[in-house]
Amino acid sequence: MDFNFSDEQTLLGESVERFVQDNYDLETRIKLANSKEGFSSDYWNTMAELGWFGMPFSEADGGFGGNQIDTMVMMEAFGKGLVLEPFFASIVLGGNALARAGSEEQKAAHLPSVIDGSKRLTLAYAEEQARFDLFDVTTTGKLSGDTLTINGAKSMVPSAGAADTFVVSVRTSGGQMDKNGISLVLVDASADGVSVDDFPTVDGLRAGEVTFTNVEVPAGNVLGEPDNGFDVLSAVARDAILALSAEALGAMEILYKDTIEYTQEREQFDHALSDFQVLQHRMVDMFVEYEQCKSLLYRATLEVVQGADTADRTVHALKHLIGKAGYFIGENAVQLHGGMGMTEELRVGHFFKRLVVLDTQFGNADHHLEQFAA
Amino acid sequence: MDIDLSPEDLAFADDVRSFLADNAYKAGEDFGQWRFEWFEKAKAKGGWDVPKWPKEFGGPGWTPTQHYIWERETARANTPWDMPFGVGMLAPILMGYGNKEQQERFLPPIRTRKQNWCQGYSEPGAGSDLASLKTKAELSADGSHYVVNGTKIWTTAAHIADWMFCLTRTDDSGKKQQGITFLLIPMNDPGIEVKPIITLGGAHSVNMVYINDVKVPVTDRVGEEGKGWTYAKGLLQHERTGIAGVSRSVFALENLKRNAASVKRGNGTLLDESGYAKKLAELEIDLMALEFTELRSLASASAGAAPGPESSIMKLKGTDIQQRTQKLTVEAAGIFGPAWGKSKVGPDFGRAGMGGYLASRAYTIYGGASEVQRDVIAKNVLGLKKSSGK
Ligand SMILES: Cc1cc2nc3c(=O)[nH]c(=O)nc-3n(C[C@H](O)[C@H](O)[C@H](O)COP(=O)(O)OP(=O)(O)OC[C@H]3O[C@@H](n4cnc5c(N)ncnc54)[C@H](O)[C@@H]3O)c2cc1C
Repeated sequence: MDFNFSDEQTLLGESVERFVQDNYDLETRIKLANSKEGFSSDYWNTMAELGWFGMPFSEADGGFGGNQIDTMVMMEAFGKGLVLEPFFASIVLGGNALARAGSEEQKAAHLPSVIDGSKRLTLAYAEEQARFDLFDVTTTGKLSGDTLTINGAKSMVPSAGAADTFVVSVRTSGGQMDKNGISLVLVDASADGVSVDDFPTVDGLRAGEVTFTNVEVPAGNVLGEPDNGFDVLSAVARDAILALSAEALGAMEILYKDTIEYTQEREQFDHALSDFQVLQHRMVDMFVEYEQCKSLLYRATLEVVQGADTADRTVHALKHLIGKAGYFIGENAVQLHGGMGMTEELRVGHFFKRLVVLDTQFGNADHHLEQFAA
Repeated sequence: MDIDLSPEDLAFADDVRSFLADNAYKAGEDFGQWRFEWFEKAKAKGGWDVPKWPKEFGGPGWTPTQHYIWERETARANTPWDMPFGVGMLAPILMGYGNKEQQERFLPPIRTRKQNWCQGYSEPGAGSDLASLKTKAELSADGSHYVVNGTKIWTTAAHIADWMFCLTRTDDSGKKQQGITFLLIPMNDPGIEVKPIITLGGAHSVNMVYINDVKVPVTDRVGEEGKGWTYAKGLLQHERTGIAGVSRSVFALENLKRNAASVKRGNGTLLDESGYAKKLAELEIDLMALEFTELRSLASASAGAAPGPESSIMKLKGTDIQQRTQKLTVEAAGIFGPAWGKSKVGPDFGRAGMGGYLASRAYTIYGGASEVQRDVIAKNVLGLKKSSGK
């Protein structure tokens, strides 16, 4: 048994963490979140130059041959600064789907520019009626000759406004809830009939409603076999949960540590708040939940990397715990900061909001509890 | 034991319901104007504009049961929030400790809601430990006025208030609860500076208030110098029961259930999701119990008993229930929870839900934080003493 990171992974983690520390103070983040793009193109380019986008892709695809552990290391560090650049959307979602399902030709056409940062992808998978069910797809794709015609709408598409190309789940056959009959297809954001309504979410990130009206794309844009997209979609969702959970872990660490620091400085009733036993115990509980999340994150990530039979179930367990602990740690960080915790001036509130949003992405705590128990 | 209302109470409830229905806000009306007129009509009903004021000050002199009915019916009708600072907080203090001139000067404009007040208690260094406040009020040599200097924080509505009632320190030689003086300060004084504080939902409701050399005539001091703490403390009890908002929670829960039932999930609705359904049921059970805690306290108040520990229990449990209701609203919105504010996506309740949830986190912080509330119950109800060790 070995729970240590490789030297490369340790270095990677340190370098991402340093970047976050140097570049992601709260003031900068707020400014970037409120800018037109919602993130920094300069930071995006720096990340590309540092090679971070190539990390999870195989060497054959032009990457560094890393796996979910490398992504975990990066996402945890991103979580400590609530990084805004669309790494998750472009690499963990879009790029991942392309790498998993694309033909050599499709990969060669897109992956190099995804890895060098000149092209951004995202995954358009959720629909208004579907809640958290990836297989509930009503957006249609009709194949006729060499053309696929797409009609429908996708909701809460991560970083939609920043994407050049969408990977879209469409129904090419079967009924609304069938796992068969779903295809993944590449659609350019600039294609005729695509409209993107991009808006800030409460955590300062961006999401978008993407509507497809008689959008015609070449049949060759379908990734892999038509009708067989669901397995890839599920695998991408699993990786997405691992990545989001790692981000959540980074955010939780900031929250519990900031709370410890604040309660040691703040005095009421002639005592540091940290003198009060009830607050000490609360912080202990926050810390214990954080450690539990870390353990389950490692467990789930290792099981996925090793292809264990139990991996899916463990990932459900992970997202449940992250959702529950995220609320617990976030709400208590705010509570223990008193009024200060309620302001936009301290970072705890921002980290708390991110954790609340994380629970809504790729299934919330209740959804995964139900899947786990099933 | 008997939980039925008397025939008189039932008739009263009918009267209240038809008043609220007849005078409900109609889309398109000027809201501000409607509101002022609403209070005038409520006044004409016999003091319904100031339900909690005693009869000698123009209140309706209701029984506790009538108060309960009023709370319930206004919650059902979802009447707009009535800012508590003037009518609910300052007025009782003026009635109890103010002089006749102050009562005549301030109670009428407070009653019409045309004069807005804010509560200047908390300071950067004085939150839960309110009595450690430092805003200094020095009596002038001729004894005609105080010169006030200090900083207040979290002052709700300071930016729209005409006046602030304020706790100041006139003496720091004794126990910290002594030497606190209750002053009334006009917000248009040039020595007052208000700076907004933006809270998590992006809303501006609280402020910093800087007080620089503001002269307050001694005639704007309420009661005796150095007794302000006693005046303010009695009132916190009321504030707590108000914050508990049991009646509002009952209808908020009904609303939540309707919203959750409108959320499709596969072939059913969100109510079929086991985790969600369980949390909703637990919430309802807690609320059913709290409704009866409120009724028990009403019954003992009707029998003339002094208010018991219920106000702290109700603050503690009532705010917990409100927060869980808000959280379940966010969860009901599913993937659309984060799409708040100006976006147009997802269910309507979802876009309002996130702001409501974030704002609700303050309910366990203000009006006596939950941790402090537990201290109060431990000490005053359970008789548990803190020892400083051996
Ligand atoms: C939205 C909002 C509106 C407000 N409006 C007003 C207003 O209009 N006027 C006004 O005067 N004030 C107002 N307040 C201030 C409010 O009353 C204070 O926030 C409250 O008293 C808590 O003080 P604090 O924020 O300084 O937190 P602190 O007192 O610093 O407390 C921080 C944390 O420590 C805990 N704690 C403190 N002491 C103890 C102890 N002895 N044992 C265990 N735990 C303890 C608290 O429970 C809390 O969790 C408002 C606050 C908010 C958030």
